Amino acid sequence: MITQKHIDQLRRIIGGENVLTTVEELLSYSYDATNMWSHMPDVVVFPTNTEHIAGILQFASENEIPVTPRGGGTNVSGGSIPIKGGIVLCTTRMNRIIDISKNNLNATVEPGVVLQDFQTVLAEEGLFFPPDPQSFAGCTMGGVVAENSGGPSCLKYGVTKQYVLGLEVVLADGRVVKLGGLTPKNRTGYELMMLFTGSEGTLGVISKITLRLLPKPKTNQTIVAVFSDVAEAGETVSDIIAAAVLPSKVEFVDNWTFEKFRGLLPDKILDDSQVILLIQVDGLPETVSAETGEILAICKDNARMVRVAEDPAEAEKYWEARSAHFSDISSRTHTIVNEDVSVPRDRIADFIRTSQEIAKKYDVPISFAGHVGDGNFHPVVLSDSRDKEHFGRALKCVDEIIETALSLGGVLSGEHGIGLEKQRFLKKAMDPAAIDIMKQIKNLLDPKHILNPGKIWEESPHE
Amino acid sequence: MSSSVKFEQIDRFKEDLDKCTKCGFCMSSCPVYQEEKVESSVARGKIMLVRALLDGELTLTDEMAKQLNKCTLCMTCVENCPASTQLHTVVTAARADKVKNKGLPFPYNFIFRWLLPRRRLFGWTVKIASWFQGIFMPKTEGTIRHLSMFLSALGKGRHIPQIAPKFLRQSIPEVNKPPEDVKTTYTVGYFTGCMTDFVFPELGKKIVKFLTRNGVEVIVPRRQGCCGAPVFLGAGDFDTGRKMADSNVRAFKNVDYIITDCATCASAMKDYVKYLADTPERTREYTEYAAKIKDITEFLVDILKLPPSAYKVAGEFRGKKVTWHEPCHLGRYLGVKEQPRKILKSLPDIEYIEMPDADRCCGMAGTFSINFYDLSRKIAEKKTDSINVTGADIVVTDCPGCQIQLIDGITRKGMPQKVLHIMDLFE
Repeated sequence: MITQKHIDQLRRIIGGENVLTTVEELLSYSYDATNMWSHMPDVVVFPTNTEHIAGILQFASENEIPVTPRGGGTNVSGGSIPIKGGIVLCTTRMNRIIDISKNNLNATVEPGVVLQDFQTVLAEEGLFFPPDPQSFAGCTMGGVVAENSGGPSCLKYGVTKQYVLGLEVVLADGRVVKLGGLTPKNRTGYELMMLFTGSEGTLGVISKITLRLLPKPKTNQTIVAVFSDVAEAGETVSDIIAAAVLPSKVEFVDNWTFEKFRGLLPDKILDDSQVILLIQVDGLPETVSAETGEILAICKDNARMVRVAEDPAEAEKYWEARSAHFSDISSRTHTIVNEDVSVPRDRIADFIRTSQEIAKKYDVPISFAGHVGDGNFHPVVLSDSRDKEHFGRALKCVDEIIETALSLGGVLSGEHGIGLEKQRFLKKAMDPAAIDIMKQIKNLLDPKHILNPGKIWEESPHE
Repeated sequence: MSSSVKFEQIDRFKEDLDKCTKCGFCMSSCPVYQEEKVESSVARGKIMLVRALLDGELTLTDEMAKQLNKCTLCMTCVENCPASTQLHTVVTAARADKVKNKGLPFPYNFIFRWLLPRRRLFGWTVKIASWFQGIFMPKTEGTIRHLSMFLSALGKGRHIPQIAPKFLRQSIPEVNKPPEDVKTTYTVGYFTGCMTDFVFPELGKKIVKFLTRNGVEVIVPRRQGCCGAPVFLGAGDFDTGRKMADSNVRAFKNVDYIITDCATCASAMKDYVKYLADTPERTREYTEYAAKIKDITEFLVDILKLPPSAYKVAGEFRGKKVTWHEPCHLGRYLGVKEQPRKILKSLPDIEYIEMPDADRCCGMAGTFSINFYDLSRKIAEKKTDSINVTGADIVVTDCPGCQIQLIDGITRKGMPQKVLHIMDLFE
């Protein structure tokens, strides 16, 4: 579909050094962090400014070439995979932090800034952008907004959309629009920047982002609690929240990931336990100390062991072990099916128990980790897509787990987005009229369907 | 895919290949990715390329070789990988299979297969090159000159130190005993490496003097050769690498330890068994050989356990501010992180300042800096920025390869720092 003439034109628009075409380079943009999908693009382009993006999109629109926006490509939804080929528009070379304002508590960044780099610079200024997807080491700010990312800290601080003040977006036809502004309050017309926040690259390409910031909490404390029973861990979380203590993070890992905690916690406790809760409280020293005391008291009722990290270095080790969960599980098997459901907090124990029964029924290994404080869970089924029979059982198992989450009043995706991975469940999880509205918005903003085509909803044959 | 293409080495390390889950954590620390921001530079991209090679989806093209060569093997991604994927192993194995299937291009086939394994001849070639270095290249600063004609095959306008008029092997005896009033505690073999032998012989002399003064008999075997790092790790020529390994193993019999002043040589030789052992005999020999290898700082701190008073800073360096660059091969490969810092912090005559990201790759990486000189320079700039922040007078390290890269970077920026081997500091 893409010819040499098209590639020459792209080189003229953004410069030859920003266009990749060898098959080896293209293969490197055929995947994301999922493992069930891949597709090669025909060309990869690296815009370095808004005009570049506008030029690329205008060209793509005129020639009806698919464009898949991509940042770090750390997403776990299939969202950045160019499933229809065409152009991958990679923003990693637009990585300037344009402004950080301590007085206004806001920052303006380009989409290719890596979240971790942004956090480091903010911390030096005593500032804080709370969303902390566990891909922070590689994910970029454009992706954080386009996926409306979450992470552990969202329990107390909310998800990305709560921090988006303004966006500059390039529309499918190359027009550049500025949405929102610099102020935390802004009641001017529709909240159009929310349309692009969480749009998964299907409505426009984000070229500049203004974010609300918070002062960095003065201190924090990490508490580790180990439980012999999943339900007891779940009840403990409910008890903590019910006691009107709001930790910044409450994370759950099951014994599949205990190996990462060996050497940090006693073997004899780990050997016959089921769950570790990692809890962090933050704020002023007095608050942190009081809340730590309350949480300790609550945990002691159910936990086999509770420990307060002695210093930041010890705390860091626990959080690293938690971060490693996804990779740790994935590296143990050929294929994982990773879900991202969110259930109301008081149904957590029910959800886990039922899911375990379902996994047993289909005879597939399952591991749970997640941001249990806000009910967002990542059940991971370990399988091997080369073994059709096993993989079939794994898929049936996750189907039922998702049904379970929905029946408990939960949602299909807490923070990963739909992309390709969760398309087949969308009809079950969303009102048909709402899906129809989405399609109408898509038609309005991207009438030729060039932007990240084939994502979010399953296409009907005529689309 | 032609059935004649085999991936013997990759297959051996397939487990490492399978570990990668594509999470992308490697992007945060990869020095090459930080510059290029392109997926094929980073571990995840390279893993996917090698998988595609095995699946027959891609073939061993020059472009594929280029992408696989574009790695400093710094191991930072390995350190940060939640799944402990050993990218450096996969890349090395892939380079080896490339050579097996496609051969080595000129001039590497000549240099690696023919010249490097013949130490005396290599020495003569370097000597001849050094004459040309003086004739054709303008003298830049002190003893630093532009690259010689011979070495210009390997670089582009790099500032490197002058090749020494007299090599180390010509300057010291094979057996060096401690002074008569000092009791001999150990007998060690000194693996001098090509750089110390040809470029930094004064360093070699200092090390021999330092060790003998502290009761160590130092043997400098005449039959030792190149460690093989550029040959089997850089270029993937395992057959030649094996010959070099065998001759080094033969050269170092009957010593308590084998001491190196070059972290790259030390780690490469420790890796003989991993990459080159193809028979039970070699596995045994290489394993025994590896167990004896100690980096000089590791030997001084962990084995000799010298008191601070044993380290006498040379007069010209007293009162100076000193910072430390940790070579990748020392910190991440050999796990020697604290020993050199312990020595430096104990010296009352200097002020030690730790630089930011002291363990970040300097971008030298041997053949990498030849194939991708501009990229290598950009990586070095982050290092020279770190050095600048410290305000140090002297940068010390423990790898002559890093030393050359730092000299090049510092000279280029017109910075005032002297670059030395840590052992250069002492009398």
